[in-house]
Amino acid sequence: MADDSSSAGLEEAFFANRERLLRFLVARGAGEAAEDLLQEIWLKIAARNSGPVAAPLSYLFRTADTLMIDRFRSLRQAERRERDWSDLNGGASPGVSDAPSAERHLIGREQARLVAQTLDALGPRPAAIFRRHRVEGVPQRALAEELGVSLSTVESDLRRAYAALSALKERFDEV
Amino acid sequence: MALDETIREQAALWAVRTGDPAFDDWEDFTVWLEADPAHARAYDQVTAAVLDAAEALPRLPEADNDDGVRPPARRRWLGGAVAAAVTAVVALGVWQARAGPYSVETAPGETRMVELDNGDRIELAGGSRLVLDRGDPRSVSLAHGQALFTVDHDAGAPFTVMVGEDTLVDIGTVFDVKHSPEGMALAVSEGAVMFNPGRQNVRVSPGQRLTSAAGSDQYSLTELAAGEVGEWREGRLTFHDAPLSEIAADLSRATGVGFAVSPRSAGRRASGSLMVEPLRRDPRALGPLLGVTVRHNGAAWEIGAP
Repeated sequence: MADDSSSAGLEEAFFANRERLLRFLVARGAGEAAEDLLQEIWLKIAARNSGPVAAPLSYLFRTADTLMIDRFRSLRQAERRERDWSDLNGGASPGVSDAPSAERHLIGREQARLVAQTLDALGPRPAAIFRRHRVEGVPQRALAEELGVSLSTVESDLRRAYAALSALKERFDEV
Repeated sequence: MALDETIREQAALWAVRTGDPAFDDWEDFTVWLEADPAHARAYDQVTAAVLDAAEALPRLPEADNDDGVRPPARRRWLGGAVAAAVTAVVALGVWQARAGPYSVETAPGETRMVELDNGDRIELAGGSRLVLDRGDPRSVSLAHGQALFTVDHDAGAPFTVMVGEDTLVDIGTVFDVKHSPEGMALAVSEGAVMFNPGRQNVRVSPGQRLTSAAGSDQYSLTELAAGEVGEWREGRLTFHDAPLSEIAADLSRATGVGFAVSPRSAGRRASGSLMVEPLRRDPRALGPLLGVTVRHNGAAWEIGAP
């Protein structure tokens, strides 16, 4: 059964490391939802249909981490929509529903411009490394080779970019 | 609620590492997360910021990719191991089969010449990006960096350069444009260029330089020695009472070596005319030339007021 064997490694790893994964989810801030999230991970890997995985345990942790990130972002987006909706409906008529989406589009463009500006301010190499790695998806090792620099240089540039973008996002979120 | 800076840095480092497909240190990562609930919150914030940014960037019109066509002549970033300037002539005729925008980009310390079908030439300085349009060869956008334009005058189809919010229209023929996050600068060597014909409508003539800060309608027109226009092609940079931050950015682009300003000196200014090549070899030589301190801070050569 070719299909079963490809996910067998993952399922084995899941059962063998259930407690570690749970601990990771709790450490990530899942709180009481940790067990439910573990179940989601199980469903994900059971439904998977795309070949064996070289490092099953790492794959599981990465799945857990991604799940937590997605959860955080959806919660934030829901909060923002709530806020926008209540700002809009503070006494105004329900007919003006176009305004927020157009405004959000403009805000999105403005934020994109500020992101580009923040990256460019770090210097051409960090800005390009960020784009190549995060927008174009080039792995760090490949970038290091391509640019003729050390992996730690790539990591260091990315770290500066991430910290700068984190500070920028704080300013956006204050609004 | 602002993150503690130390925690932000740590979270950023972990986000960089987990972003690598080969990352395997989940155990150590868990230990860090468990040390303080603020760690997980910071990591969430940083990863979300990075994802938001990566999703936002492609929304900018000029961020259209360059079709994956990177001429093989473009190589390394670090100035030390590379010849003083890598110049490649890129003939665009062969790419005109497909319509749409595309960009040409240089790394710091590198220069490139772009030659258009009708003979118009654009020389790009280091760390620069030019966006062109196959459907409209007379209109380009300087996304960032610096370029010297040598274009044919054609009253019927004037050559136009977009620089951020501003539009430059060529009356003919040789002019240099610089675009940085702080603003733009236009210097004319031959002919004349109109700055924002629809707004301020300023004519900039040979020997003149116009500067305008980003997001501002105000501009300043000064005199410039003719030899200074496009001097970067000869490996020279001249600063007239320029902020140290601008000097650091320009030197980084020209040499491929990272320069930065010490935070306490960010607003200070300096003047001087520098040859780029000796500075690439020994950044500390910048000190006596401009009357500044130069020291390596671990990431870049930091310049500061004495």
